[in-house]
Amino acid sequence: MTMARSELRRRAVRAGLLAAVAIVYLCLVGMVQAFSTRNIVGGNLPLSRILLLLPSAVAASLAVRPRVRGGVTMELNMGEAAGAGASIGLIAGAAVAVGIGIVNLIGQEAVRGVFNAVTSALMLTLTLQRSTVVGTAILVALSTATGALFALAGVLAPRLRRPIVTGLTVVLLMGMLQSVVRVMLVQLGLATQWLYSVTFGGLTYLGAVASFAAGMAAARLWALRREAAAADAAERAEAGGRPRIPRAMLLVPVGFVLLALPALLGTFLSAVLGQVGIFVLMGLGLNIVVGYAGLLDLGYVAFFAVGAYATGVLTAAVNSGSSLHPGLPFLLAVPIVVLIAVAAGLLIGGPVLRLRGDYLAIVTLGFGEIARVLVTSDWLKSFLGGAQGLIAIPAPTMSVGGLHIDFRNPQPFYYLALGFCLLAAFVSWRLANSRVGRAWNAMREDEQVAEAMGVSTVRYKLLAFACGAAIGSLGGALFAVQIGSLAPSSFVFFISIQSLAIIILGGMGSIPGVIVGALVLVGLPGFLTEFAEYQPLIYGAVLVAIMLYRPEGLIPNVRRTRELHEEEVEQDAWLEGVPEPAPSMTLGEAVE
Amino acid sequence: MSDGVGEQTTPTAGTRGDGQGTGDRRAILEMRDVSTHYGLISVLRHVNVEIFPGEIACLLGGNASGKTTTLKTILGYVKPSEGEVLLEDEVVSGMDTTEVVRRGISMVPENRRLFSNMTVKENLELGAYQRRDRKAIAKDMEEILETFPRLRERLSQKAGTLSGGEQQMVAMGRALMAKPKVLLMDEPSMGLAPVLVDQVFKIIKDINELGTTIFVVEQNANMALSIADRGYVLQTGQVVLADTAQSLLNNPQMREAYLGEL
Ligand SMILES: Nc1ncnc2c1ncn2[C@@H]1O[C@H](COP(=O)(O)OP(=O)(O)OP(=O)(O)O)[C@@H](O)[C@H]1O
Ligand SMILES: [Mg+2]
Repeated sequence: MTMARSELRRRAVRAGLLAAVAIVYLCLVGMVQAFSTRNIVGGNLPLSRILLLLPSAVAASLAVRPRVRGGVTMELNMGEAAGAGASIGLIAGAAVAVGIGIVNLIGQEAVRGVFNAVTSALMLTLTLQRSTVVGTAILVALSTATGALFALAGVLAPRLRRPIVTGLTVVLLMGMLQSVVRVMLVQLGLATQWLYSVTFGGLTYLGAVASFAAGMAAARLWALRREAAAADAAERAEAGGRPRIPRAMLLVPVGFVLLALPALLGTFLSAVLGQVGIFVLMGLGLNIVVGYAGLLDLGYVAFFAVGAYATGVLTAAVNSGSSLHPGLPFLLAVPIVVLIAVAAGLLIGGPVLRLRGDYLAIVTLGFGEIARVLVTSDWLKSFLGGAQGLIAIPAPTMSVGGLHIDFRNPQPFYYLALGFCLLAAFVSWRLANSRVGRAWNAMREDEQVAEAMGVSTVRYKLLAFACGAAIGSLGGALFAVQIGSLAPSSFVFFISIQSLAIIILGGMGSIPGVIVGALVLVGLPGFLTEFAEYQPLIYGAVLVAIMLYRPEGLIPNVRRTRELHEEEVEQDAWLEGVPEPAPSMTLGEAVE
Repeated sequence: MSDGVGEQTTPTAGTRGDGQGTGDRRAILEMRDVSTHYGLISVLRHVNVEIFPGEIACLLGGNASGKTTTLKTILGYVKPSEGEVLLEDEVVSGMDTTEVVRRGISMVPENRRLFSNMTVKENLELGAYQRRDRKAIAKDMEEILETFPRLRERLSQKAGTLSGGEQQMVAMGRALMAKPKVLLMDEPSMGLAPVLVDQVFKIIKDINELGTTIFVVEQNANMALSIADRGYVLQTGQVVLADTAQSLLNNPQMREAYLGEL
């Protein structure tokens, strides 16, 4: 069944306006201009131009998706979709054109007084380096065409659409991560000229086609594998046998890549991965507190600080700013650090046992700040170095057959971080699938009833705080090793937010989600320095978008998906309103 | 509110409807002169209740008379300000809820309160949380699925999407998975269509016949008394009547005040 004209028009206008707002916003915060030098494909497609067209593309492809209304699926035919997409692109393009007009009318200087990103460079970027009128016209035309094309893609069957979208995504990623991929290829002794242009930096046309094809092939293979897996599972269910290829076998290539990465990436990129590792630990730890036990902790930075400072004090051998410098070897210090963190977890967990939801969030937020104030304070200055912080924290070292390894160097550091992350992931995984995990699930859903099942909520809340603190402190310990000196200003609220954003993006309660979340939110700005400036902005946008469209995160945990997608419940909403039985005689009524 | 229902009578222990004299039986669960407060608000006043092994006892009372509070007091959610609760002659008031549960009391809460995002199976498994005997748990699960065959088809369905009647069954199954000595039920008929109410009470009777002692709280007095051995009537936090179910059904004051007859 097709959709009513008027509804289609309304939907297109709304999507077009949303895209327009997104584009104007990206221009005004300076992101478009910041990305104008990163060529993705050839010399004519920098990231800035993609950014100008991306909102229309996304809005168009989403706006034409089939909807279910009153039990009937409403689909658009190709013509309608193209038309709607074109209007979406046109509206978005026109909005930019109007913007350009306004700026020219009032004058750049006047506008810059409010929006300092509005420079002549930006105006040139927007008009594609041409005269205002011609450039604007081309931009509007491009925007319209993009809208139409992506709307067409939006109504394709998923079997066709997925490979195309994957192909385009791969091209975009290959272009964005050009420096990373190039370094890897060079390390492997492979030629890069065919893939990346020497003059422009981005993908060559051949490279773009190859990437697109690779993306399509990967999507197709993935689909085939899933079909095979489904068939296999069905077969197994009948035969009652084990899977043909044990799951564990799939881990071998993954493990191999993980071990080879530092050699492939070189020093700078390994350092970024080390940073990712620290935040994987933070994410895994917070995931236990928030994702498993459902206790919203906004002061998680406290455990990061405990881990870092405990490591600093315990391993320092010379006067580091603390009057204590026992000079313990790192590996001996770590268990003590974890114990201290567990104590801190219990200390923070204890007073907030009776608090829930927003109250808990506010109080933990306070604890996070207290941690920062304590490490800054003169009171603990002789132990923690006060405002000056700690210096001269030694890097753990190791000698293997005459080879001296210093774990502050990015590549060895990566392995240290990897080891900690694997340990933490294993512990999280075991916890989630144990009695403890089930108790946390029950507690998260209904504390009182969990008690009636015999789940001691006091004990399990404390356990969640202790486990979360232990894992987070490992992140802090790594941080101390990585930079060798600690300043109170490193332990700010933003660390808590970052950790929370990672688990929200990845999906609460999901271990792979934490890894993906950390890669996207910490790794990407590290790989692409242009992004670094917009990190908080991207965090905000990501959080809002995820909460609105995919509250279960990118790599969801099965249960969370059930918790967050309430349509199912809505469908059965009538259940709640089961008519009160006509009470033949109930006590209450008779008495009154 | 009619004042004339009379003074609290001593619970007539062991005088079952069939008239068997079992006078020297010991109560499995006993509330001895229990008073409960929420802060300054007094809710229960000197409540005495005795429940004997193998019986169904019911607690009847109007809205806000303190029925749920009675169960909460037994389970240790609230601590009595006076008096004590005894399970098999041991004082359990003052213990944590989890400890009381471990000692063999479990509850089907008011409004069922399922873990609505978990599957039926997960709900049932959580009921057995404090048990460790895997084999026995599996056997009990099987038994419960025999009692509630409907649940077997819905084992992997999200509990929150079940119909009201099905939810009540899961709630009962979940409580039974703990293999309790005493099963507390808070208004199992609430929100159910009359035909379902009949079914639920029949199941309660069946569960009892399999050996579980039951203490059921109800507003639907007729229904509760039709399956119970003995009943207590609670009025503004005080037990005003306590007798065998049969005598309560025949009690003229009771008929006038609670059973809808004039
Ligand atoms: N947590 C609480 N804090 C303060 N007062 C409470 C609390 N819980 C219950 N009360 C009060 O105690 C009284 C008895 O409540 P209770 O829930 O035991 O009644 P009930 O007999 O179960 O009623 P209903 O049939 O409506 O479920 C009510 O007046 C109620 O307002
Ligand atoms: Mg009640």
